[in-house]
Amino acid sequence: MDSVVNVAALLFFPGGLFVITAGLFYEWIDRKVIARLQNRLGPRWFQPFADTVKLLAKEEVVPERVNPILFVALPLAALAGALTAALYVPMAGLKPAFSFSGDLIVTVYMLSLLTLCTGLAGANTHDRFSLVGATRALTQLFAYEAPFLLALLGPAIAAGSWQISEITAYTETHTWMLVMQPIGFIVALIGLMGKLELPPFDSPEAETEIVAGALTEYSGRGLAIFHLGKGVELVIGLTLITSFYMGGLSNPLAFVLKTVGLLIVLAGLQSLMTRLRIDQTVGLWWRYGALLVLVQWLILFVIQMV
Amino acid sequence: MTAVISPKKEKFIVPIGPQHPALKEPGHFEFAVDGEVVTDATVRLGYVHRGIEKGAEARNWTQNLYLVERICGICSHIHALTYALGVEVLAEVDVPPRAQAIRVLVAELERIHSHLLWFGVAAHEAGFDTLFMYSWRDRETIMDILEALTGNRVNYSANVLGGVKFDVTDAQRKVILEGIDFLEERTHHYLNVVTTDGMFLQRTRGIGITRLQDAQRLGIVGPTARASGVMRDVRVDAPYAAYDAFPINIVVETAGDLEARFIVRLKELYESFRLIREILDNLPPGDLQVKRFPRRIKPGEVISRVEAPRGEVFYYIRSNGSDMPDRVKVRTPTLCNMASVLSLSVGHHLADVPMLLVGIDPCFSCNDRGVSICSSEGSHDRWTWERLRQFGIDYYANKV
Repeated sequence: MDSVVNVAALLFFPGGLFVITAGLFYEWIDRKVIARLQNRLGPRWFQPFADTVKLLAKEEVVPERVNPILFVALPLAALAGALTAALYVPMAGLKPAFSFSGDLIVTVYMLSLLTLCTGLAGANTHDRFSLVGATRALTQLFAYEAPFLLALLGPAIAAGSWQISEITAYTETHTWMLVMQPIGFIVALIGLMGKLELPPFDSPEAETEIVAGALTEYSGRGLAIFHLGKGVELVIGLTLITSFYMGGLSNPLAFVLKTVGLLIVLAGLQSLMTRLRIDQTVGLWWRYGALLVLVQWLILFVIQMV
Repeated sequence: MTAVISPKKEKFIVPIGPQHPALKEPGHFEFAVDGEVVTDATVRLGYVHRGIEKGAEARNWTQNLYLVERICGICSHIHALTYALGVEVLAEVDVPPRAQAIRVLVAELERIHSHLLWFGVAAHEAGFDTLFMYSWRDRETIMDILEALTGNRVNYSANVLGGVKFDVTDAQRKVILEGIDFLEERTHHYLNVVTTDGMFLQRTRGIGITRLQDAQRLGIVGPTARASGVMRDVRVDAPYAAYDAFPINIVVETAGDLEARFIVRLKELYESFRLIREILDNLPPGDLQVKRFPRRIKPGEVISRVEAPRGEVFYYIRSNGSDMPDRVKVRTPTLCNMASVLSLSVGHHLADVPMLLVGIDPCFSCNDRGVSICSSEGSHDRWTWERLRQFGIDYYANKV
């Protein structure tokens, strides 16, 4: 019986189908809100689904002079990492499917697997846009990763645990962390934008410079899988931040309201900003992001000491 | 034993074009980069050479008006205007002042449309798509005005040799004034955005600084030059059409960076708004066309210069007494400004390159020319159609 539940958790909920569908739907909300803010109509609700189906059905062209095994395996590894991370977060406001002490760190690094795979996928090909894109993606990874992790550890320290389920239980019963640790929230939110390569942190895929960045050579299935991985990461990122900073996720309704609310805020931020150059992104993170989150930690420690 | 450090021969070259999302028209740029910094830049133009200059020699004076209007899709009126002004000088025809005023009116409307279009494209290159969408939405106002006035959105076909085709009615006048009022308000907003938005300024302020000496040395024209403090505007230096009756104030900035180019172009919009209102209020009475325009034009040559939205458009027209021109030579502003992109991009980040390129408001199909190469002995190596065809057959036969 136990193994049946585990398989269901992997394939349907919270991993697998559910989170992939949610990812595509959230992507639609993101695109639609941005389009409306930009005075456009935006896509119909099934557009991301249609795109994915179309891409999956298309031929996957493996370019010359790449390692074909890596070329096929990297998107799968990226999606697998994102789906694994889904098992440890309170998806849909329910308890995480799996939980152990310190799973927060594992989850965050499972999420980074996507960026890492994107970077490697770019470096695997001999396309010059891909190489520049890969360099940028990996450079950016080192810029936001530490501040983002530190920002997520803020609530963990307040809760006294590095286990996501325990932190969520703590935040549900206390004042929103958004109020208690506003700086940490801002860094986490902007960190998520960096992680997902959303504007203004989209220089790894700046189409006016390097076409599609690291994924320029990808088509068909590989591209679709990377795309799905990004959608999954969007859902998990939103879930993590809302459950940590916005008073937890006690039921599915709270989950939908809070994550979609945060997504709309993200969409608003995206449409307001100009793309940063990669050097500006790195500068921003290490000059301000890291510093801010350290200030947050300092305040946290002082409060806890008193 | 001595160690010889040889310089690294291999360069990492990022090709931009002929097909690339940053380019709306085909051109080929090769940027050698060291990490993110550009160390060398070359350009290859000519992908959309259409043989218009040669084609003009096989059409009569009137037909050419329609041909040259299609040189550029954005500044179509300007090309027809330059050509018409030149031909009218050759034919010794005096165009009625009302026609000249309407020509200037359309030219200024076109300038507004072109600058707003550029503004949106430049914002898109910087990754600021919201600004792109908004400026293009507002640009629709001017497109609607042009359609209401001329019947066409792109190739307005306002000119005939010796005048213009249409008059401005009271209803049209009202539509234009309302549109201009709306756009003036929006321009205030855009000027505010490009001078105060911190993130946008990170991408424009201090980027691509062209100093006055460099601008003069490279022969940069138009708003790009005026952003570097060059006091050069054909509308002021050599007023044509109705610009002596309706003078403009030259807009100059001295900073020479991308921000200055944004400011110059947006401030020029204010000048255009003012001029359009002035023309509509003081439209001189009189005919729209001359009574008779000669079919054959006596031998002679003329140079015609006009300030297009991108800078100076230069026409050289020669007549041999027939009903067709002997030679029409066109020089468009993009060609003058292209050198500045190459010299500027060295030392800048790759991410700034699309911004620098678009900063001159390039229009590739206007500037593409056929080139014939002369050897050092001075002999022209001309290829016949047969030889070219054979070359193509052999090339593809040997390729496999």
